[in-house]
Amino acid sequence: MVENYAVLPCNGLDKCAGAISRELAIKLCESAKNEIICPVFYRVAEAKYNKIACERTLLVIDGCPTRCASKLAAEKKLKTSRKITITEEAKNRNIELANNLRLGENENKLIDMILAELSDAGGKNAQSSDKVQFPNEFEYITYQKDKFIFRLPKNAGFFFNENDCWAYVIGNRARIGVTDFVQKSLSDILYFFPPDIGAKIDQFGEAGSVESAKAVVELISPVSGKVVAINEALEQKPELINENPYESGWIAELELADFEEDKQLLIGCDKYFEIMKKKVDEFNV
Amino acid sequence: MSKKMKIVPCSGIGKVYGLIAREAVLKVVHELCPEKSETVCLGYIVTGDKEVKEKMEGRECITVDGCPKMCASKNVSIAGGVVKEEVKVMDTVKEIKSKNYGTATRLEADGEAVVNAIAAKIAGKIA
Repeated sequence: MVENYAVLPCNGLDKCAGAISRELAIKLCESAKNEIICPVFYRVAEAKYNKIACERTLLVIDGCPTRCASKLAAEKKLKTSRKITITEEAKNRNIELANNLRLGENENKLIDMILAELSDAGGKNAQSSDKVQFPNEFEYITYQKDKFIFRLPKNAGFFFNENDCWAYVIGNRARIGVTDFVQKSLSDILYFFPPDIGAKIDQFGEAGSVESAKAVVELISPVSGKVVAINEALEQKPELINENPYESGWIAELELADFEEDKQLLIGCDKYFEIMKKKVDEFNV
Repeated sequence: MSKKMKIVPCSGIGKVYGLIAREAVLKVVHELCPEKSETVCLGYIVTGDKEVKEKMEGRECITVDGCPKMCASKNVSIAGGVVKEEVKVMDTVKEIKSKNYGTATRLEADGEAVVNAIAAKIAGKIA
């Protein structure tokens, strides 16, 4: 079980996801040496919690996309090591939450699943910041023009910019890469120039580039943050981007600086799909 | 805009009296007076978001606090709500004396009794 966390949940009063957030936080603190931070009292009297918030690894649990707990952590300038948003966790696990504040079978199942995942991560997470496990496969919608098929992942957590780059966000980490439109426009990718690990990248800043015989394309990062990993496999096999730019062809992982702000300038799958279709129709791939 | 009375408990994390406040409010808004009352999440109120400020501005509220820090009452006022009634869990606890109300996560029978008594008082103020 994770230990030595400071757990900052949302208040969790008027929504089922909030009630789950609260219950999860309480269970984490009942079963291990973690400490809970009351989100209301911390805002008005921070002295009580400042020490544990700064000295321990901070786990922020939001119930819904309003993300009250995350906003509080940002306001207090806390270094968040891991973020959990219950509605996203439920969606990722295909669990439908009831419209009820009393937790039922599904809600308790979700709590147990998250607890088990945190337990698996265990002390490793507590010591080495947060290592996020990104999925290896996604579900796609497609658009075909002539013989070319353009895929777009429809999973929750994917965000796009109009520069044909994507970010897949889990907690305070994101993987970034280029879309099928880029790789098909470039044709066979020959070189991959990664960003430097540790580099701080602004939203819409350059995060590496890819090159084919046709052109060089910069990856315009959809999110801001620090580069914590690059896809080393691409250095030997840049063609992985052609094979699947969302899975084996991802480019870098970032520790997010302020995703809530970045998100305001990003678009979801449906909207980007329309943009991509228009580009495909206008461009002779 | 909803004309229901807003009942706002303190966050209720970490203390049994906070849990009592929370449970009493949920009992009022979901069981005793669902047509006349609703709750607003205090954690959301304290974010100071424009949307929640508009929701609270000038609206009559009943606050329910578990301890003397009075987080609910203070923050509802800061958000522009009009605190019509301050309910203090400790006032009812003094009436139903017990050595075992439960814990921050689970109420015992005496804790439930306090919840029911507070909920009845609040419902009486709304009706």
